[in-house]
Amino acid sequence: MGYKLSFETVNSLFNELRKEYKIYAPKRFPKAGRYSDTDIIRYAEIKNVEEIVFDEKSDYPAKEVVSPITQTLFYFTEDEYREAKVHDKKVLIFARPCDINAQMNQDKIFLENGFEDTFYKRMRDKVNYVMMECTSSEDTCFCCSMGTNKTDNYGLAARFEEGQVLFNVKDDKFAPFFEGKEEAEYTVKFIEENETKVTIPVIPNKDVLNKLKEHDMWKEFNKRCVSCGSCTIACSTCTCFTTTDISYNENGSVGERRRTAASCQVAGFDEMAGGHDFRKTTADRYRYKTLHKIHDYNERFGQGHMCVGCGRCTERCPEFISFTATIEKVNKAVKEICGGECNA
Amino acid sequence: MNHDIDVKATRINCFRQSKVAGEFMLQLRVPGSIIDAKHLTSVQHIAETWGDGTFHIGMRHTLNIPGIKYENIPAVNEYINNYIKEVEVVECDVEMETCGKGYPTIGARNIMACIGNSHCIKANVNTHELAKKIEKEVFPSHYHIKTTVAGCPNDCAKAHFNDFGVIGIAKMEYDRDRCIGCGACVEACSHHATRVLSLVNGKIEKDTCCCVGCGECVLACPTSAWTRNEKKFYRIMIGGRTGKQYPRMGKMFANWVTEDVVLAIFRNWPKFSAWALDYKPVYLHGGHLIDRAGYIKFKELILEGVELNPEAQIAERIYWQEDEKRANINVKPIAKHNSAGPGSQDGRH
Repeated sequence: MGYKLSFETVNSLFNELRKEYKIYAPKRFPKAGRYSDTDIIRYAEIKNVEEIVFDEKSDYPAKEVVSPITQTLFYFTEDEYREAKVHDKKVLIFARPCDINAQMNQDKIFLENGFEDTFYKRMRDKVNYVMMECTSSEDTCFCCSMGTNKTDNYGLAARFEEGQVLFNVKDDKFAPFFEGKEEAEYTVKFIEENETKVTIPVIPNKDVLNKLKEHDMWKEFNKRCVSCGSCTIACSTCTCFTTTDISYNENGSVGERRRTAASCQVAGFDEMAGGHDFRKTTADRYRYKTLHKIHDYNERFGQGHMCVGCGRCTERCPEFISFTATIEKVNKAVKEICGGECNA
Repeated sequence: MNHDIDVKATRINCFRQSKVAGEFMLQLRVPGSIIDAKHLTSVQHIAETWGDGTFHIGMRHTLNIPGIKYENIPAVNEYINNYIKEVEVVECDVEMETCGKGYPTIGARNIMACIGNSHCIKANVNTHELAKKIEKEVFPSHYHIKTTVAGCPNDCAKAHFNDFGVIGIAKMEYDRDRCIGCGACVEACSHHATRVLSLVNGKIEKDTCCCVGCGECVLACPTSAWTRNEKKFYRIMIGGRTGKQYPRMGKMFANWVTEDVVLAIFRNWPKFSAWALDYKPVYLHGGHLIDRAGYIKFKELILEGVELNPEAQIAERIYWQEDEKRANINVKPIAKHNSAGPGSQDGRH
């Protein structure tokens, strides 16, 4: 069923919804960008529809709502501890198809990778999506190449128009909120083609993979990549975090355990006790991330690649390293290694 | 050669005397060091019609056209009328008559600026916009002042070597929850700035006293944990100069002041100069007037009626560090001492 709501009506709908839900959406933070007088758009709790940035891609992904950059897990006092509390409301996230698909990939890591992560799960279980229809695709988007341009994993779908929003109620639990609202024809559409297209290379066997790891193509990133980790924080699928115990200054036996997002691009990420690290150079780290997104994850779980083609890594890179350009370079390298004998 | 030329009058008209008798060099002002590229055809026209076919990029970012004969100055002034109108009146809203007689004064010198945040990734402010507002405050005035606007504390614009050097700075905000403790800001601050950041328990601690407001932490931050406060702030350096006697780097006069404060201070500049020179403008730039009046008197007059923003910091005292080109250069017969204020210019030409 479709509905057409003016912004004013959407706001009264939000007022009703907010009794049960916290609503999160991409929001503009003026002049908070990397360069002066530039903005950033990131997920934050909203009250009004006017706060939602619907016509531009957010700089940071929707994953932050479910797995925030910093999260306290529990507090300890000598031999006692208490789990950090979480609010008792449900969560409604305005997200694009790529972001919703990205969350499915995060689920695999946090929930289906041997054990369930309690802290992820308790937040994830609260989440309902309002799928924000993409009416146009930005030049860094390549969701169609990754097969993540579509999803049916949402409770509501929304198309933003001038001063009004078309809603499609897919999950019946939202139907009561729309009772008496103006009905309208609305068939959900998805982006069918991006300006940027990539072919993900097929790496046929371990031998090719090992040769690819040693390939000269990675060397340029020793000079270009600065290991800042912007790409992984902007990535809608990266899940890595580090855990730290903090003792409060006044009393060392009181404190908290918190986890914080971490980046495989930052030097020291893989440092082991004793000082050994696996990936010593910038290029090693960039190669590791690249192959994780377009090969390794799929090898592990087998239901598609980790990368959903949101293109935020490319957008946020301060050194103008394009991830799609990197994928093309991998493609070329694999072809070279296979000598035309694989389907890359 | 039999010339009868008032070279001081031509100098005030922004035509500088050449070593070739009867020739002059026009200095076109470029407030904020930026103009529409279309004006370059005018520069070319002047150089090829009345000059020697060359132009020089002035040391204070003027467009200089040498080799203009004295008798052609009226024609050149007529020709640059449109340039002056567009650049000064339209762009900077300067209150002046444009009557085809060229520049009314050379006093307040061209306001320079680096490219600023209209282009530069490091800059905190739009330098041209501020320079144009300053132009409106100080031009045309016969009282000399050398001013520049830098977009960030890196100071490519040399605020440290002008009478008044304005530097765009930012107050940084830190969102603890967005910080991943990667240490990129600690490294950037240590490498580019004043080492005020450190990593404690995976988060950042900052020694706020010594932050120069450059924004390197924001540039380095992968998560937008560091952002610039929306409000624009400025630092004002004063008294910097080059010269044959006692060149010196400027000292910090004001820190964390807003644009309103900066402009109010510039508005007081002609008033302070008029007092210092007893209302007799001479070819002497502003740093010397601060010396003659003394910093305490300067501070009193330049801040008169200025409403300082709550964050503002002002130098209580200033101790100059001059590079004296001979020892004890300031020690001389008392009759040769300069002073400021009423009566100070009596008996001088």
